[in-house]
Amino acid sequence: MQIGKLPWAILAPAIIFVLIGVFAPLLMTHDTAHQDYGALLQGPSLSHWLGTDYLGRDMWSRIIGGARTSLVAMVFVLAAALFMGVVIGSLAGYIGGATELVLISAIDIMLALPSLIIALALIGVFSGENFAWISDYWKMILALTVAWWANYARMSRAVVVSELQQPYIEAARVMGASHLWIFTRHILPHVLGLVVVYASADAGALVLAIATLSFLGLGVAPPTPEWGQMLVDGMSYIEEYPSLVIIPGFALTLVVVSFNLMGEAFALQKVPRAVRGNFLRKRKAERAGEEIARASVEAHP
Amino acid sequence: MFKLDRRHFLASTASVAFLSALPNFTFATGSKTLRVAIGAETGNLDLLQNVSTLSSYTVVFDSLIQYGQGGALEPGLATTWKVADDGKSISFDLREGVTFSDGTGWDADAAEWNLKRWMGVVDFSWIGISAAYDSIVKDAPNKITIKLKQAVPVALLELTIVRPVRMLSPKAVGADGKQTAPIGTGPWIVEKYSSTETVLVRNDKYWGEKPAFSRMELKVVPDELARANALRAGELDVIGGDWVAPLSPRRAKALAADGMMVVAEPGTATTILGFSPKSAVMQDKAVRQAIFTGIDRAAVATVLFEGYADPTIDIFPTTVPTAGARKPVPVRDVAAAQAALTAGGWSGGGSGWTKNGKALEIDFLISEESFPGSRRIAEIIQGMLTEVGLKVNISSVDNATMHERRPAFKYDLTFFATYGAPYDPHGSLGASFETAADTGPDGKIYIADALDALIAKALETGGDARADAMQKVYDWLYDNVAACPLVVTKRLWAVNPKVKGFSLPATDYDLPFKGISLG
Repeated sequence: MQIGKLPWAILAPAIIFVLIGVFAPLLMTHDTAHQDYGALLQGPSLSHWLGTDYLGRDMWSRIIGGARTSLVAMVFVLAAALFMGVVIGSLAGYIGGATELVLISAIDIMLALPSLIIALALIGVFSGENFAWISDYWKMILALTVAWWANYARMSRAVVVSELQQPYIEAARVMGASHLWIFTRHILPHVLGLVVVYASADAGALVLAIATLSFLGLGVAPPTPEWGQMLVDGMSYIEEYPSLVIIPGFALTLVVVSFNLMGEAFALQKVPRAVRGNFLRKRKAERAGEEIARASVEAHP
Repeated sequence: MFKLDRRHFLASTASVAFLSALPNFTFATGSKTLRVAIGAETGNLDLLQNVSTLSSYTVVFDSLIQYGQGGALEPGLATTWKVADDGKSISFDLREGVTFSDGTGWDADAAEWNLKRWMGVVDFSWIGISAAYDSIVKDAPNKITIKLKQAVPVALLELTIVRPVRMLSPKAVGADGKQTAPIGTGPWIVEKYSSTETVLVRNDKYWGEKPAFSRMELKVVPDELARANALRAGELDVIGGDWVAPLSPRRAKALAADGMMVVAEPGTATTILGFSPKSAVMQDKAVRQAIFTGIDRAAVATVLFEGYADPTIDIFPTTVPTAGARKPVPVRDVAAAQAALTAGGWSGGGSGWTKNGKALEIDFLISEESFPGSRRIAEIIQGMLTEVGLKVNISSVDNATMHERRPAFKYDLTFFATYGAPYDPHGSLGASFETAADTGPDGKIYIADALDALIAKALETGGDARADAMQKVYDWLYDNVAACPLVVTKRLWAVNPKVKGFSLPATDYDLPFKGISLG
């Protein structure tokens, strides 16, 4: 993949989101939890670039802080779900037999239920006293991970099963390569190549799921800023101060759409494209040159 | 194939315009209908089952005594009553000439039949007069006497609550004794009910002042913003009431700005921050004192309740009887809060506190499902306590988890509210502060052996000594910093200006209709 050929217009918003998340502490102008009852529900100003919320907290800083909250949660969930999905799916595909039947059944059961419903149920379970030592934030990450891995597992298994049919795998076996060698050197790169592309598109859905859980009051605990929570807080003020809803809503929409487009762009990069435009003209010219050269050789053997 | 020419287009447009105007025509011809929003469907209004919403009983069923404005006891189906000197019997003169809406007569037989459905029944032992019930004597066709095993000072007040004390037609039950229809003597008759609305028609045989309009539609609108917009659009006439269709202060302010009439009057229920009596951290009085002192109640009332709340440190507001002497609301004092912690053996400051090497952290249990808006109140309190140096972790849980953890005291801090009129102060004191009372998932605000004794004494004391006995309870709660009252929210209703003569019902369990006329 050449860097110059990447769809930068599509990648830029997602990359900006990641950069904002990483450098959030440098970008925030105020403490996100600081309440100022003398500056409630103010409009944009030099001291508060996006205004303040109902507790006088700086909206700009909370939006930036919210990006970091979503980014960290998203990265953890994606990494953990990818790991779980790839391991379980690959094991199912590689070992086969009864193991595959059991694992694929578990995958199917997980896929039969909407991920968000599973996450909600798990958060309900984690609300019990036995899990009191885990913070709400990590409960959410854990619940989403458990709810999210099945798709990656199914894809991983499909790739493994497909690759195992290839002659080069047979050749590696004949040459005495171990299972671990075959899996890590020959199969895993193919699995990751597909699953990571899918995950990049899934990132947007995850940010949305994190916001949804917070919107329902089951995600990030106050005073940590989170876009879904900012949305639900702003709902009470939507008639007089719609910016409290519009600003986090816009940020959320931008990130979700850009990750979706990015995932789609990555996926399209893997699909052979029809030859057209300049490339087609260039190929035609090259072909014509080859024909002339061949004709010349045939004419003067 | 259908072809849309200009003639067809114009005809279709005119038809659509006519159809869309139909609701307005209906409104115009049916102007004697009051449309009131309710947050949830009314249910079948069974008087003995805890399944229907509380807001609609009072317009269909009457009680012997009614709870009037300010807690005054007013005649209902009994015109007069007399409590014996020893408090062990109460005689009632029943109103004559009254019939249930199915034509059944109201007399001593009907009264006895109704009272015996719940008095002395274990399920209703949470009502003092039921627990103390001995017998009923019919003195005359329109006179009964309730005999009690011991005096119940709040017996008359208990006869004003929403259910099960109200009177049902003896013919409105099946062979198994279960209620089959909501037939009462009240000003309204249930014409039909569904999951989306309940339609009431005026009971023209009603014994009291009849409503000025003939029909009342209770529209189920669960979402508050949808209720507000329906009021603006003229699709609803009245919204509000904590137990009917709650109206938030912010929304009330917006509606007032849009020309709707907003009625706000002092409330009868107190929002209280409860300290778990079983939590190791909260058993430390110094921590409780620091929290009590470190909260700016005036800011909570202003910032989150838009001024539609009164800051308080008293358990009950003056709008309920025997609420006790008023204590001035202290100004928030961070230094005093920190001094309390230091005096309690904690060391540290604004960045945190420790004792015996253990950091002070507080688990603040909240549930938006159980108490809408609680997260925002918790956030403002968290901010205030952070300045004291208290690390407060807000745990936001669902309703089921809240109902599991609250009765087991598995929290450090959580929100409670008193019941309000007509249940207080005896209702909240007996249920939320007495160890033995079974309040199920609601939990207790605070319990202690010493407090149990004081409450038992207060609840069994009648007459002039009652106020002093109640005051001892309030003083104990205050001296021991057993609870942290925050605000008393105002009773809020919003009314379409075309509705004339609106006045707040006596309690937020009642629907408004008295005095209302429709323009």
